[in-house]
Amino acid sequence: MTFSEGFLSVLIYGSLIWCGVSALGLAAMLIRDGKSGEIW
Amino acid sequence: MAEDKVFLDPTVGWILLALFSVLWIGLGVYWGRRNKSFEDHALAGRNVGLALGTATAAATWITSNTTMLAPQFALQLGIWGMLAYSTAAFGLILFAPMAKRIRQLMPHGYTSGDFFRLRYGRVAWAIFLVFTLFYSLTWLVSMAMAGGILLEALAGIDYAWGMSVILAVCVIYTMRGGLAAVIGTDFIQSLIIIVGICVTGFAVLQNVSVSEIHANLTATKPALLDVLFPAAIMAIFNNLLFGLGEVFHNNVWWSRAFAFREGVASRAFLMGGLVWLPIPVAAGFIALASGALGVAVPSADMVGPLVIAEVLGGVGAVAIFIVVFCSLASSIDSLLAATSDLVTEDIWRRLLHPSSSADNLKRTAQWVTLGLGVLTWLVCLPRIGTLATVLFFAGPLVGSMIWPIVTGLYWRSANTVGAIGAMVLGAGVGLYFYFAIGFYVATLIATAVSMVWTLGACALAKGRFDWTRLKEAA
Repeated sequence: MTFSEGFLSVLIYGSLIWCGVSALGLAAMLIRDGKSGEIW
Repeated sequence: MAEDKVFLDPTVGWILLALFSVLWIGLGVYWGRRNKSFEDHALAGRNVGLALGTATAAATWITSNTTMLAPQFALQLGIWGMLAYSTAAFGLILFAPMAKRIRQLMPHGYTSGDFFRLRYGRVAWAIFLVFTLFYSLTWLVSMAMAGGILLEALAGIDYAWGMSVILAVCVIYTMRGGLAAVIGTDFIQSLIIIVGICVTGFAVLQNVSVSEIHANLTATKPALLDVLFPAAIMAIFNNLLFGLGEVFHNNVWWSRAFAFREGVASRAFLMGGLVWLPIPVAAGFIALASGALGVAVPSADMVGPLVIAEVLGGVGAVAIFIVVFCSLASSIDSLLAATSDLVTEDIWRRLLHPSSSADNLKRTAQWVTLGLGVLTWLVCLPRIGTLATVLFFAGPLVGSMIWPIVTGLYWRSANTVGAIGAMVLGAGVGLYFYFAIGFYVATLIATAVSMVWTLGACALAKGRFDWTRLKEAA
Protein backbone atom coordinates (compact mmCIF):
# COMPACT_ATOMS: atom_id res chain seq x y z
CA MET A 1 0.00 0.00 0.00
CA THR A 2 1.44 3.37 -1.00
CA PHE A 3 0.60 7.01 -0.43
CA SER A 4 -1.40 8.35 -3.36
CA GLU A 5 -0.53 11.28 -5.59
CA GLY A 6 -3.52 13.18 -4.19
CA PHE A 7 -2.25 12.72 -0.63
CA LEU A 8 1.21 13.90 -1.63
CA SER A 9 -0.30 16.99 -3.34
CA VAL A 10 -2.35 17.90 -0.28
CA LEU A 11 0.67 17.37 1.96
CA ILE A 12 3.07 19.49 -0.10
CA TYR A 13 0.74 22.31 -1.12
CA GLY A 14 -0.92 22.30 2.30
CA SER A 15 2.46 22.70 4.03
CA LEU A 16 3.61 25.50 1.75
CA ILE A 17 0.33 27.41 2.07
CA TRP A 18 0.39 26.83 5.84
CA CYS A 19 3.90 28.37 5.95
CA GLY A 20 2.71 31.38 3.96
CA VAL A 21 -0.30 31.90 6.23
CA SER A 22 1.94 31.53 9.32
CA ALA A 23 4.27 34.28 8.09
CA LEU A 24 1.35 36.60 7.40
CA GLY A 25 -0.17 35.73 10.77
CA LEU A 26 3.05 36.53 12.64
CA ALA A 27 3.35 39.88 10.88
CA ALA A 28 -0.30 40.70 11.60
CA MET A 29 0.11 39.76 15.27
CA LEU A 30 3.15 42.01 15.60
CA ILE A 31 1.23 44.95 14.11
CA ARG A 32 -1.68 44.28 16.46
CA ASP A 33 0.63 44.03 19.49
CA GLY A 34 2.40 47.19 18.37
CA LYS A 35 -0.85 49.14 18.11
CA SER A 36 -1.90 48.12 21.61
CA GLY A 37 1.61 48.70 23.04
CA GLU A 38 2.01 45.03 23.96
CA ILE A 39 5.05 43.94 21.95
CA TRP A 40 6.97 43.74 25.24
CA MET B 1 29.49 16.44 2.29
CA ALA B 2 29.91 17.64 -1.25
CA GLU B 3 32.89 19.74 -0.36
CA ASP B 4 34.25 19.83 -3.88
CA LYS B 5 31.29 21.87 -5.13
CA VAL B 6 30.00 25.07 -3.54
CA PHE B 7 26.69 26.68 -4.37
CA LEU B 8 27.54 30.32 -3.82
CA ASP B 9 30.47 32.54 -4.69
CA PRO B 10 32.57 32.91 -1.50
CA THR B 11 32.61 36.70 -1.90
CA VAL B 12 28.81 36.79 -1.95
CA GLY B 13 28.82 34.45 1.05
CA TRP B 14 31.11 36.76 3.01
CA ILE B 15 29.03 39.83 2.07
CA LEU B 16 25.82 38.11 3.27
CA LEU B 17 27.57 36.96 6.43
CA ALA B 18 28.82 40.49 7.12
CA LEU B 19 25.44 42.13 6.47
CA PHE B 20 23.50 39.81 8.75
CA SER B 21 26.22 39.93 11.41
CA VAL B 22 26.02 43.74 11.54
CA LEU B 23 22.21 43.58 11.64
CA TRP B 24 22.02 41.07 14.53
CA ILE B 25 24.73 42.78 16.61
CA GLY B 26 23.18 46.21 16.02
CA LEU B 27 19.76 44.99 17.12
CA GLY B 28 21.27 43.20 20.12
CA VAL B 29 23.01 46.34 21.32
CA TYR B 30 19.85 48.43 20.72
CA TRP B 31 17.55 46.06 22.60
CA GLY B 32 20.15 45.53 25.34
CA ARG B 33 19.83 49.19 26.37
CA ARG B 34 16.49 48.32 28.02
CA ASN B 35 18.10 45.84 30.41
CA LYS B 36 18.73 47.24 33.87
CA SER B 37 18.74 44.06 35.99
CA PHE B 38 19.26 40.30 35.77
CA GLU B 39 15.49 39.88 35.39
CA ASP B 40 15.53 42.20 32.36
CA HIS B 41 18.56 40.46 30.90
CA ALA B 42 17.49 36.85 31.54
CA LEU B 43 13.72 37.15 31.09
CA ALA B 44 13.21 40.31 29.00
CA GLY B 45 11.37 41.90 31.94
CA ARG B 46 8.75 39.05 32.00
CA ASN B 47 6.63 41.04 29.57
CA VAL B 48 6.99 39.46 26.10
CA GLY B 49 3.83 39.70 23.96
CA LEU B 50 2.08 37.12 21.79
CA ALA B 51 3.68 37.90 18.40
CA LEU B 52 7.27 37.77 19.67
CA GLY B 53 6.41 34.83 21.92
CA THR B 54 4.98 32.76 19.07
CA ALA B 55 7.86 33.60 16.74
CA THR B 56 10.58 32.80 19.26
CA ALA B 57 9.01 29.43 20.12
CA ALA B 58 8.93 28.50 16.43
CA ALA B 59 12.30 30.04 15.46
CA THR B 60 14.25 28.39 18.28
CA TRP B 61 12.85 25.00 17.30
CA ILE B 62 13.86 25.61 13.65
CA THR B 63 17.50 24.59 13.77
CA SER B 64 19.80 23.92 10.85
CA ASN B 65 18.69 20.31 11.35
CA THR B 66 15.14 21.27 10.43
CA THR B 67 16.17 22.87 7.16
CA MET B 68 18.95 20.40 6.27
CA LEU B 69 17.98 17.12 7.95
CA ALA B 70 14.30 17.20 6.96
CA PRO B 71 15.21 16.76 3.25
CA GLN B 72 17.61 13.98 4.25
CA PHE B 73 14.83 12.27 6.24
CA ALA B 74 12.56 12.56 3.19
CA LEU B 75 15.22 11.11 0.91
CA GLN B 76 15.92 8.15 3.20
CA LEU B 77 12.57 7.51 4.90
CA GLY B 78 10.12 8.98 2.39
CA ILE B 79 6.81 10.57 3.28
CA TRP B 80 6.83 9.05 6.76
CA GLY B 81 10.28 10.58 7.29
CA MET B 82 8.91 14.09 6.76
CA LEU B 83 5.87 13.39 8.91
CA ALA B 84 8.08 11.86 11.63
CA TYR B 85 10.14 15.02 11.72
CA SER B 86 6.98 17.11 11.97
CA THR B 87 5.98 15.31 15.17
CA ALA B 88 8.66 17.33 16.98
CA ALA B 89 6.09 20.16 16.87
CA PHE B 90 4.11 18.29 19.53
CA GLY B 91 6.87 19.12 22.00
CA LEU B 92 5.87 22.79 21.70
CA ILE B 93 2.13 22.12 21.45
CA LEU B 94 2.03 19.90 24.56
CA PHE B 95 4.26 22.32 26.46
CA ALA B 96 1.61 25.04 26.00
CA PRO B 97 -0.58 24.08 28.99
CA MET B 98 2.54 23.33 31.04
CA ALA B 99 3.91 26.82 30.35
CA LYS B 100 0.73 28.32 31.76
CA ARG B 101 1.00 26.09 34.83
CA ILE B 102 4.69 26.98 35.29
CA ARG B 103 3.88 30.70 35.17
CA GLN B 104 1.12 30.22 37.78
CA LEU B 105 3.10 28.01 40.16
CA MET B 106 6.38 29.90 39.89
CA PRO B 107 5.66 33.60 39.33
CA HIS B 108 9.21 34.51 40.45
CA GLY B 109 11.04 31.57 38.85
CA TYR B 110 14.03 31.93 36.53
CA THR B 111 15.03 28.48 35.32
CA SER B 112 13.94 24.85 35.03
CA GLY B 113 16.63 24.19 37.66
CA ASP B 114 14.63 26.29 40.13
CA PHE B 115 11.74 23.87 39.64
CA PHE B 116 13.84 20.76 40.36
CA ARG B 117 15.47 22.36 43.41
CA LEU B 118 12.21 23.51 44.97
CA ARG B 119 10.09 20.52 43.94
CA TYR B 120 12.44 17.57 44.45
CA GLY B 121 15.41 18.81 46.50
CA ARG B 122 19.14 19.14 45.92
CA VAL B 123 20.05 15.60 44.82
CA ALA B 124 17.44 15.57 42.04
CA TRP B 125 18.48 19.13 41.18
CA ALA B 126 22.13 18.04 40.82
CA ILE B 127 21.22 15.11 38.56
CA PHE B 128 19.02 17.40 36.50
CA LEU B 129 21.84 19.95 36.11
CA VAL B 130 24.28 17.28 34.93
CA PHE B 131 21.77 15.94 32.39
CA THR B 132 20.61 19.29 31.08
CA LEU B 133 24.06 20.89 30.89
CA PHE B 134 25.37 17.86 29.01
CA TYR B 135 22.46 18.09 26.58
CA SER B 136 22.61 21.88 26.16
CA LEU B 137 26.36 21.99 25.60
CA THR B 138 26.17 19.11 23.14
CA TRP B 139 23.38 20.87 21.25
CA LEU B 140 25.34 24.12 21.26
CA VAL B 141 28.50 22.44 19.98
CA SER B 142 26.61 20.52 17.30
CA MET B 143 24.93 23.74 16.08
CA ALA B 144 28.21 25.69 15.95
CA MET B 145 29.92 22.82 14.14
CA ALA B 146 27.00 22.58 11.73
CA GLY B 147 27.37 26.32 11.12
CA GLY B 148 31.01 25.99 10.08
CA ILE B 149 30.40 22.90 7.98
CA LEU B 150 27.35 24.35 6.20
CA LEU B 151 28.90 27.74 5.44
CA GLU B 152 31.88 25.91 3.97
CA ALA B 153 29.70 23.58 1.90
CA LEU B 154 27.36 26.34 0.71
CA ALA B 155 29.78 29.19 0.03
CA GLY B 156 33.31 27.81 0.35
CA ILE B 157 33.93 29.82 3.54
CA ASP B 158 36.65 28.08 5.53
CA TYR B 159 35.16 25.95 8.35
CA ALA B 160 37.14 27.63 11.14
CA TRP B 161 36.23 31.12 9.93
CA GLY B 162 32.54 30.38 9.31
CA MET B 163 32.11 28.64 12.68
CA SER B 164 34.01 31.42 14.48
CA VAL B 165 32.03 34.25 12.88
CA ILE B 166 28.58 32.78 13.48
CA LEU B 167 29.47 31.89 17.08
CA ALA B 168 31.07 35.30 17.77
CA VAL B 169 28.07 37.17 16.34
CA CYS B 170 25.62 35.19 18.49
CA VAL B 171 27.78 35.61 21.61
CA ILE B 172 28.09 39.38 21.12
CA TYR B 173 24.40 40.13 20.65
CA THR B 174 23.31 37.67 23.35
CA MET B 175 25.80 39.18 25.81
CA ARG B 176 24.68 42.70 25.07
CA GLY B 177 20.96 42.20 24.65
CA GLY B 178 20.12 39.11 26.72
CA LEU B 179 16.83 37.33 26.10
CA ALA B 180 15.24 40.48 24.61
CA ALA B 181 17.81 40.47 21.80
CA VAL B 182 17.36 36.73 21.32
CA ILE B 183 13.58 37.01 21.10
CA GLY B 184 13.64 40.13 18.92
CA THR B 185 16.05 38.65 16.40
CA ASP B 186 14.10 35.37 16.53
CA PHE B 187 11.07 37.20 15.16
CA ILE B 188 12.97 38.50 12.13
CA GLN B 189 14.76 35.18 11.66
CA SER B 190 11.52 33.19 11.82
CA LEU B 191 9.93 35.35 9.12
CA ILE B 192 12.99 35.03 6.88
CA ILE B 193 13.11 31.25 7.34
CA ILE B 194 9.40 30.65 6.77
CA VAL B 195 9.14 32.97 3.76
CA GLY B 196 12.39 31.52 2.34
CA ILE B 197 11.15 27.94 2.62
CA CYS B 198 7.75 28.88 1.20
CA VAL B 199 9.14 30.77 -1.81
CA THR B 200 11.78 28.16 -2.69
CA GLY B 201 9.18 25.40 -2.32
CA PHE B 202 6.77 27.03 -4.76
CA ALA B 203 9.69 27.85 -7.10
CA VAL B 204 10.72 24.17 -7.17
CA LEU B 205 7.12 23.23 -8.00
CA GLN B 206 7.32 25.53 -11.04
CA ASN B 207 9.96 23.15 -12.39
CA VAL B 208 8.44 19.81 -11.46
CA SER B 209 4.86 18.81 -10.66
CA VAL B 210 3.72 16.66 -7.75
CA SER B 211 2.44 14.21 -10.34
CA GLU B 212 5.95 13.85 -11.81
CA ILE B 213 7.48 13.48 -8.34
CA HIS B 214 4.97 10.74 -7.46
CA ALA B 215 5.47 8.92 -10.76
CA ASN B 216 9.25 9.02 -10.42
CA LEU B 217 9.15 7.71 -6.84
CA THR B 218 6.72 4.94 -7.81
CA ALA B 219 9.09 3.83 -10.57
CA THR B 220 12.45 4.22 -8.82
CA LYS B 221 11.97 4.33 -5.03
CA PRO B 222 8.54 2.91 -4.14
CA ALA B 223 9.60 2.31 -0.53
CA LEU B 224 9.55 6.09 0.04
CA LEU B 225 5.80 6.05 -0.67
CA ASP B 226 5.14 2.93 1.41
CA VAL B 227 2.44 3.44 4.04
CA LEU B 228 4.00 0.62 6.11
CA PHE B 229 7.69 1.63 6.08
CA PRO B 230 8.87 0.06 9.40
CA ALA B 231 12.04 2.12 9.94
CA ALA B 232 10.17 5.36 9.31
CA ILE B 233 7.33 4.43 11.66
CA MET B 234 9.90 3.69 14.41
CA ALA B 235 11.42 7.12 13.75
CA ILE B 236 8.07 8.75 14.53
CA PHE B 237 8.02 7.51 18.13
CA ASN B 238 11.68 8.30 18.72
CA ASN B 239 11.38 11.81 17.29
CA LEU B 240 8.19 12.51 19.19
CA LEU B 241 9.61 11.46 22.55
CA PHE B 242 12.95 13.17 21.98
CA GLY B 243 11.04 16.35 21.15
CA LEU B 244 8.85 16.08 24.24
CA GLY B 245 11.82 15.41 26.55
CA GLU B 246 13.86 18.23 25.09
CA VAL B 247 11.14 20.87 25.32
CA PHE B 248 9.75 19.75 28.69
CA HIS B 249 13.09 19.91 30.53
CA ASN B 250 15.29 22.47 28.81
CA ASN B 251 15.74 25.96 30.13
CA VAL B 252 15.50 27.30 26.58
CA TRP B 253 11.73 26.74 26.86
CA TRP B 254 11.25 27.30 30.59
CA SER B 255 12.98 30.71 30.38
CA ARG B 256 10.43 31.67 27.72
CA ALA B 257 7.54 30.47 29.88
CA PHE B 258 8.84 32.82 32.61
CA ALA B 259 9.50 35.65 30.15
CA PHE B 260 6.09 35.75 28.46
CA ARG B 261 3.51 38.18 29.75
CA GLU B 262 0.68 36.86 31.95
CA GLY B 263 -1.79 34.92 29.79
CA VAL B 264 0.53 34.73 26.77
CA ALA B 265 2.66 31.61 27.43
CA SER B 266 0.08 28.97 26.63
CA ARG B 267 -1.12 30.57 23.40
CA ALA B 268 2.41 31.43 22.25
CA PHE B 269 3.67 27.83 22.57
CA LEU B 270 0.54 26.41 20.95
CA MET B 271 0.80 28.77 17.98
CA GLY B 272 4.59 28.37 17.82
CA GLY B 273 4.07 24.60 17.48
CA LEU B 274 1.47 25.11 14.76
CA VAL B 275 3.80 27.47 12.89
CA TRP B 276 6.57 24.86 13.11
CA LEU B 277 4.43 21.82 12.18
CA PRO B 278 4.49 22.13 8.34
CA ILE B 279 8.14 23.20 8.02
CA PRO B 280 9.75 19.72 7.82
CA VAL B 281 7.37 18.81 4.99
CA ALA B 282 7.75 22.16 3.19
CA ALA B 283 11.55 21.92 3.43
CA GLY B 284 11.74 18.15 3.02
CA PHE B 285 9.65 17.45 -0.07
CA ILE B 286 12.36 19.11 -2.19
CA ALA B 287 14.47 15.97 -1.66
CA LEU B 288 11.70 13.79 -3.07
CA ALA B 289 11.83 15.91 -6.24
CA SER B 290 15.54 15.18 -6.85
CA GLY B 291 14.85 12.06 -8.93
CA ALA B 292 12.18 13.68 -11.12
CA LEU B 293 14.47 16.67 -11.67
CA GLY B 294 17.42 14.44 -12.55
CA VAL B 295 19.61 15.93 -9.79
CA ALA B 296 22.43 13.62 -8.74
CA VAL B 297 22.72 13.41 -4.96
CA PRO B 298 26.24 12.34 -3.92
CA SER B 299 25.57 13.04 -0.23
CA ALA B 300 22.15 12.80 1.38
CA ASP B 301 22.85 15.51 3.96
CA MET B 302 23.19 18.15 1.23
CA VAL B 303 20.19 17.13 -0.86
CA GLY B 304 18.15 20.26 -0.06
CA PRO B 305 20.76 22.82 -1.22
CA LEU B 306 21.68 20.59 -4.19
CA VAL B 307 18.15 20.56 -5.56
CA ILE B 308 17.47 24.25 -4.86
CA ALA B 309 20.76 25.41 -6.38
CA GLU B 310 20.23 23.17 -9.40
CA VAL B 311 16.71 24.40 -10.05
CA LEU B 312 16.92 28.04 -8.97
CA GLY B 313 20.59 28.81 -9.64
CA GLY B 314 22.31 31.71 -7.88
CA VAL B 315 19.10 33.14 -6.39
CA GLY B 316 18.29 29.77 -4.84
CA ALA B 317 21.81 29.49 -3.44
CA VAL B 318 21.50 32.92 -1.80
CA ALA B 319 18.09 31.95 -0.38
CA ILE B 320 19.33 28.68 1.13
CA PHE B 321 22.40 30.43 2.58
CA ILE B 322 20.25 33.05 4.33
CA VAL B 323 17.73 30.46 5.58
CA VAL B 324 20.49 28.24 6.98
CA PHE B 325 22.30 31.18 8.60
CA CYS B 326 19.08 32.37 10.27
CA SER B 327 18.23 28.82 11.40
CA LEU B 328 21.63 28.49 13.04
CA ALA B 329 21.59 31.91 14.70
CA SER B 330 18.04 31.47 16.07
CA SER B 331 19.08 28.28 17.90
CA ILE B 332 22.63 29.19 18.97
CA ASP B 333 21.54 32.49 20.57
CA SER B 334 18.73 30.79 22.50
CA LEU B 335 21.04 28.08 23.78
CA LEU B 336 23.66 30.61 24.85
CA ALA B 337 21.10 32.73 26.70
CA ALA B 338 19.25 29.85 28.39
CA THR B 339 22.40 27.95 29.40
CA SER B 340 24.09 31.07 30.75
CA ASP B 341 20.97 31.86 32.80
CA LEU B 342 20.99 28.31 34.15
CA VAL B 343 24.64 28.54 35.17
CA THR B 344 24.15 32.03 36.65
CA GLU B 345 20.95 31.27 38.56
CA ASP B 346 21.50 27.65 39.61
CA ILE B 347 25.24 27.50 40.14
CA TRP B 348 26.49 31.06 40.70
CA ARG B 349 23.54 32.42 42.67
CA ARG B 350 22.01 29.40 44.42
CA LEU B 351 25.22 27.50 45.18
CA LEU B 352 28.06 30.02 45.31
CA HIS B 353 26.86 33.61 45.89
CA PRO B 354 23.32 33.72 47.32
CA SER B 355 23.56 37.42 48.15
CA SER B 356 24.51 38.60 44.64
CA SER B 357 22.89 41.86 43.57
CA ALA B 358 20.72 42.13 40.45
CA ASP B 359 23.45 44.07 38.68
CA ASN B 360 26.11 41.54 39.65
CA LEU B 361 23.95 38.70 38.35
CA LYS B 362 23.43 40.49 35.06
CA ARG B 363 27.18 40.98 34.61
CA THR B 364 27.80 37.36 35.62
CA ALA B 365 25.32 36.14 33.02
CA GLN B 366 27.12 38.18 30.36
CA TRP B 367 30.51 36.72 31.31
CA VAL B 368 29.06 33.21 31.41
CA THR B 369 27.70 33.73 27.89
CA LEU B 370 31.18 34.73 26.75
CA GLY B 371 32.69 31.73 28.56
CA LEU B 372 30.22 29.34 26.94
CA GLY B 373 31.06 30.82 23.55
CA VAL B 374 34.81 30.37 24.09
CA LEU B 375 34.33 26.81 25.38
CA THR B 376 32.15 25.93 22.40
CA TRP B 377 34.67 27.48 20.01
CA LEU B 378 37.53 25.46 21.52
CA VAL B 379 35.57 22.20 21.25
CA CYS B 380 34.46 22.95 17.68
CA LEU B 381 37.79 24.13 16.31
CA PRO B 382 39.39 20.68 15.79
CA ARG B 383 36.28 19.65 13.80
CA ILE B 384 35.82 16.23 15.36
CA GLY B 385 33.39 14.73 12.89
CA THR B 386 31.62 12.35 15.22
CA LEU B 387 30.88 14.90 17.93
CA ALA B 388 27.47 15.89 16.58
CA THR B 389 26.28 12.31 16.92
CA VAL B 390 26.71 12.64 20.70
CA LEU B 391 23.43 14.55 20.59
CA PHE B 392 21.62 11.25 19.96
CA PHE B 393 23.33 9.91 23.08
CA ALA B 394 21.44 12.55 25.08
CA GLY B 395 18.06 11.10 23.99
CA PRO B 396 17.72 8.71 26.98
CA LEU B 397 18.75 11.51 29.38
CA VAL B 398 16.03 13.90 28.22
CA GLY B 399 13.47 11.08 27.87
CA SER B 400 14.00 10.08 31.50
CA MET B 401 13.05 13.60 32.67
CA ILE B 402 9.62 13.77 30.99
CA TRP B 403 7.65 12.04 33.77
CA PRO B 404 9.27 13.72 36.79
CA ILE B 405 8.50 17.09 35.20
CA VAL B 406 4.92 16.40 34.12
CA THR B 407 3.89 14.71 37.38
CA GLY B 408 5.83 17.27 39.41
CA LEU B 409 3.82 20.08 37.84
CA TYR B 410 0.39 18.50 38.25
CA TRP B 411 0.42 15.83 41.00
CA ARG B 412 0.99 16.59 44.66
CA SER B 413 1.95 12.92 45.16
CA ALA B 414 5.01 13.20 42.88
CA ASN B 415 8.06 12.90 45.11
CA THR B 416 11.85 12.97 45.35
CA VAL B 417 12.35 9.18 45.32
CA GLY B 418 10.24 8.95 42.19
CA ALA B 419 12.11 11.75 40.41
CA ILE B 420 15.63 10.56 41.26
CA GLY B 421 14.86 6.91 40.48
CA ALA B 422 13.13 7.84 37.23
CA MET B 423 16.08 9.89 36.00
CA VAL B 424 18.83 7.48 37.08
CA LEU B 425 17.08 4.23 36.12
CA GLY B 426 15.48 5.61 32.97
CA ALA B 427 18.70 7.10 31.66
CA GLY B 428 20.76 4.05 32.69
CA VAL B 429 18.50 1.47 31.05
CA GLY B 430 17.99 3.72 28.02
CA LEU B 431 21.74 4.09 27.52
CA TYR B 432 22.21 0.33 27.84
CA PHE B 433 19.77 -0.23 25.00
CA TYR B 434 21.34 2.66 23.05
CA PHE B 435 24.49 0.52 22.79
CA ALA B 436 22.76 -2.89 22.74
CA ILE B 437 20.20 -2.09 20.02
CA GLY B 438 20.43 1.45 18.66
CA PHE B 439 19.57 5.12 19.14
CA TYR B 440 16.07 4.67 17.72
CA VAL B 441 14.85 2.70 20.76
CA ALA B 442 16.90 4.33 23.51
CA THR B 443 14.63 7.32 24.19
CA LEU B 444 11.51 5.18 24.04
CA ILE B 445 12.87 2.68 26.60
CA ALA B 446 14.23 5.42 28.89
CA THR B 447 10.86 7.15 28.91
CA ALA B 448 8.98 3.90 29.59
CA VAL B 449 11.24 2.92 32.52
CA SER B 450 11.03 6.43 33.92
CA MET B 451 7.23 6.38 33.61
CA VAL B 452 6.83 3.06 35.46
CA TRP B 453 9.10 4.19 38.32
CA THR B 454 7.49 7.62 38.64
CA LEU B 455 3.91 6.29 38.62
CA GLY B 456 4.85 3.57 41.13
CA ALA B 457 6.44 6.13 43.46
CA CYS B 458 3.39 8.38 43.18
CA ALA B 459 1.04 5.50 43.97
CA LEU B 460 3.02 4.56 47.10
CA ALA B 461 3.58 8.14 48.29
CA LYS B 462 2.07 9.16 51.61
CA GLY B 463 3.03 12.84 51.64
CA ARG B 464 1.50 15.57 49.50
CA PHE B 465 3.50 18.49 48.11
CA ASP B 466 2.61 22.03 49.12
CA TRP B 467 2.48 24.09 45.90
CA THR B 468 3.26 27.34 47.71
CA ARG B 469 6.85 26.11 48.14
CA LEU B 470 7.37 26.83 44.43
CA LYS B 471 6.54 30.51 44.90
CA GLU B 472 10.03 31.31 46.17
CA ALA B 473 10.75 35.03 46.18
CA ALA B 474 13.37 36.17 43.67
